[in-house]
Amino acid sequence: MLLASFGNFLVWVVWIAAAFACLGSGVAVVSFTNPFYSALALIGNLGSLAVLYLLLAAEFVAAAQVLVYAGAVMVMFLFVIAYLGGQADAPWAGGPSWQTIGAVGAAAALLVEVVVAIGLKAGGRLSDEADVRRSFGGPAQIGRLFLTDHLLAFEITSVVLLAAAVGGVVLGAHARRGEWGSAAPERRRTT
Amino acid sequence: MPGPTVTWYLAVSVVLFATGVLGVLLRRSPLIVLLSLEIMLNGANLALIAFSRYQGRGDGQIFALSVMAVAASEVVVGLGLIVALARRKVALDVDKLTTLRG
Amino acid sequence: MITTSAWVCLLSPLVACLAIALAGNRISRRGSGYLATGAVALSFAAAVVAFVGLLGEQPDERSHLSTAWTWLGGGSYHSGLSVLVDPLSVFMMLVVSGVGSLIVAYSLGYMDGDDEERRFFAYMALFVFSMLLLVQGGNLLLLLAGWGMVGLSSYLLIGFNQRRPQAIAAAKKAFVMNAFGDATMVLALFLLVQHTGTLDFAATFERAQGLASNHWVVNLVALGLLGGAVAKSAQLPLQTWLPDAMEGPTPVSALIHAATMVTAGVYLIVRAHPLFELAPTVEDLAAGLGAATILLAGLIALVQTDVKRVIAYSTMSQIGYMFLGAGLGSYANGMFHLLTHAFFKALLFLAAGLVIHALAGEQDMRRMGGLRRLMPRTWLAFLVGALALVGVPPFSGFFSKDSILAAALDHGTYGYVLWAAGLGGALLTGLYTFRMLFLVFGGEPSPFVREHHHAHEGKEGPLSMTATVAVLAVLATVGGWIQLAGVWTPVSDWLFPVAEPLVEATGRQEAISSVLAVGLGLLGAAIAWWIYAARRGRVPRLRAVRTLLERKFYFDEAYDLVFYWPAAAISRAWGSLVEGPLVGGAGAGLGQATRGAGRLTARAQTGLLRSYALAIAASLAVLAVVFISVR
Repeated sequence: MLLASFGNFLVWVVWIAAAFACLGSGVAVVSFTNPFYSALALIGNLGSLAVLYLLLAAEFVAAAQVLVYAGAVMVMFLFVIAYLGGQADAPWAGGPSWQTIGAVGAAAALLVEVVVAIGLKAGGRLSDEADVRRSFGGPAQIGRLFLTDHLLAFEITSVVLLAAAVGGVVLGAHARRGEWGSAAPERRRTT
Repeated sequence: MPGPTVTWYLAVSVVLFATGVLGVLLRRSPLIVLLSLEIMLNGANLALIAFSRYQGRGDGQIFALSVMAVAASEVVVGLGLIVALARRKVALDVDKLTTLRG
Repeated sequence: MITTSAWVCLLSPLVACLAIALAGNRISRRGSGYLATGAVALSFAAAVVAFVGLLGEQPDERSHLSTAWTWLGGGSYHSGLSVLVDPLSVFMMLVVSGVGSLIVAYSLGYMDGDDEERRFFAYMALFVFSMLLLVQGGNLLLLLAGWGMVGLSSYLLIGFNQRRPQAIAAAKKAFVMNAFGDATMVLALFLLVQHTGTLDFAATFERAQGLASNHWVVNLVALGLLGGAVAKSAQLPLQTWLPDAMEGPTPVSALIHAATMVTAGVYLIVRAHPLFELAPTVEDLAAGLGAATILLAGLIALVQTDVKRVIAYSTMSQIGYMFLGAGLGSYANGMFHLLTHAFFKALLFLAAGLVIHALAGEQDMRRMGGLRRLMPRTWLAFLVGALALVGVPPFSGFFSKDSILAAALDHGTYGYVLWAAGLGGALLTGLYTFRMLFLVFGGEPSPFVREHHHAHEGKEGPLSMTATVAVLAVLATVGGWIQLAGVWTPVSDWLFPVAEPLVEATGRQEAISSVLAVGLGLLGAAIAWWIYAARRGRVPRLRAVRTLLERKFYFDEAYDLVFYWPAAAISRAWGSLVEGPLVGGAGAGLGQATRGAGRLTARAQTGLLRSYALAIAASLAVLAVVFISVR
């Protein structure tokens, strides 16, 4: 019992730490002026999220989060930021005030509404989680689900990834051939 | 389940989401907007995972993985756009990128 | 065979018209003329065949109706495409195709060299067909069809010279006034259909007898038909279009506005006389209008300076005589006068055409003079026509006109008034006719004539023109010899089965009328000689009267005021108050509103990413509420 309550306490501690890290880094992402710092904050965010996933018995997703998201996507972000260099500077600038008010209002409204919605609908039932086996959230289960119940989603997602890859190549292609419009006029090589 | 109930996780997810919304709406650099977008997506992911745990089914996690994949794709394209813009020396300011105005 | 020849007579000009129209440039201009002339001549031949055929029959069997097929049908009403061959229609067929072929032949010379000769002959053929349809139609509907088509042909031919604005305006005026008459006629036909259920001549006339007690209907029907007749024949009060119609080429004036179309009104009254006889008030009205027109037109003709207009007013006046006759019920005499009038009026027009042709288009009489020496044969033809017009024996007019006057004496007190009007008309006729003759031909050649007169290869005109004028001169001379009132009446006998006269003059009345009419006519001629030839008298100055006559009794101005001005004002008001704002405004407004709405909504297309994102977030917030509350 004591061990259980200690375990519970441990979980709570971890949770609080991770949650705060998550929220803090979230705020940091949004508020830093240096995009590099924002990206780093996002990495931190992703990491804390991974911890939260682990607490929710979603081990595979947590691993994927760290590997794919933090590992690949964020690295790509950092590469771009590095490439852009000074161009990527993003100071907080003024805008029409109604934008700010509207934005804050919308966000607040969303927050409140979701809370209210969940509160109203779910009531106290959210305390009764289902019991799960140890294999819950493991690769085997994920794999099985992907290939049986959610095969279509799997396939479509792969198509989306392909489209993104093609799009990336197209967008990043050098304007050498001059077909993509407003590129620098090519200099003819005299051979 | 030891630790906080699903409700707590949901709270975190909502706040994260709201933070992301604020970032999308209030920042002018497309890069930061993309990052905020990631925050939003992650908030949603957290909610999905939480509910998946609550229900004891793996579907939410599958959904979250798909979201991750789509987020990755979207980041690729978005960054490609930003790089293309930067290469053409266009100012990276969403308020100035208004060619699609009507 | 009779009906076959009637169909040939009817369709031959139509075929020619279509052939010329469809051949276009493939047919030479001369060729189109020959085709038209040949077709109308064929018509005449067919009419003669029909005539001879009818002659061989007993008087009471002389009525043949030949129906091609049922043209119009609705409910219990049927109208066939039918042709009626009876004495009256054959009479008109002969006049129309006979005089028509002469005039179309004349046009070969008159229109020679004109660029649009083919169009002219196509229209002429169309006109002859329309007129024949009018007179041969076996029911009132076909008569109406022909009626409208002659109006159309008239419009096309008056406005033949499309580059001349006066011609176009005159064509429009003629058409509009005719359209008014058409409208009243159609209303009358509606009433007839409603009350008798048919428009076939025989059936309608028979069933109409049953309506005799219904005064409203019979009077309205007769009035409607009279309206059409008055418009078509240019009688009071719808006479203003005829002088303007002289803008058309001279053969057109001769054929349409002298010999045939304008006499269609008389034909209508005679053909529909059973209907008119049911409404004696309307008949009296017709006679009265005719009498008034005789005097009105005669007076106006006294001050005209254009030679064609004098003849036009003369036509108006003479048709007044025909209306007088038909209105009185002296149908055969009215038709006889129609026949002789066709001869001498066409003669006058064509002879005037020779003069105009020789003077390169000049029509103002004040510039003419002394053409007698230069164009003696034309002068002779003109003289013959003039004498026939005035009604001097033995020329044709004498035999026909006096009978009408005599018949008026059999109609009570009103008849006396009409008789007096007719005699007054005779005086005026003599006066203006010989005024015209002396102004054009008398005295020494005027400076203008000396300068502009050019003979046609040493002759007075091309052969086609002179020959036809000669033929008409002969007809104008002998044409009246087919009836001598009281003594020998083949014309009246011929038309008797179709139209029994309501009035008969005694021999004494005939004699008195004749003597007085001829005497007054010669008196008028003498006065004209006194003033214009011998130059011993002067035209009385009477400024006010002169202006009144020159302004044609202000009819044009009155119509302008009564009809045109209000209509124009109303349409202007309508246009600016209703059509402009409402219709135009609606159309333009719709476009502008759409554009405005588009502009408004385009304001949302800021291109700003953040606004779009805000919109999404805000709508999401709203939707969340909806979702929660509804669920």
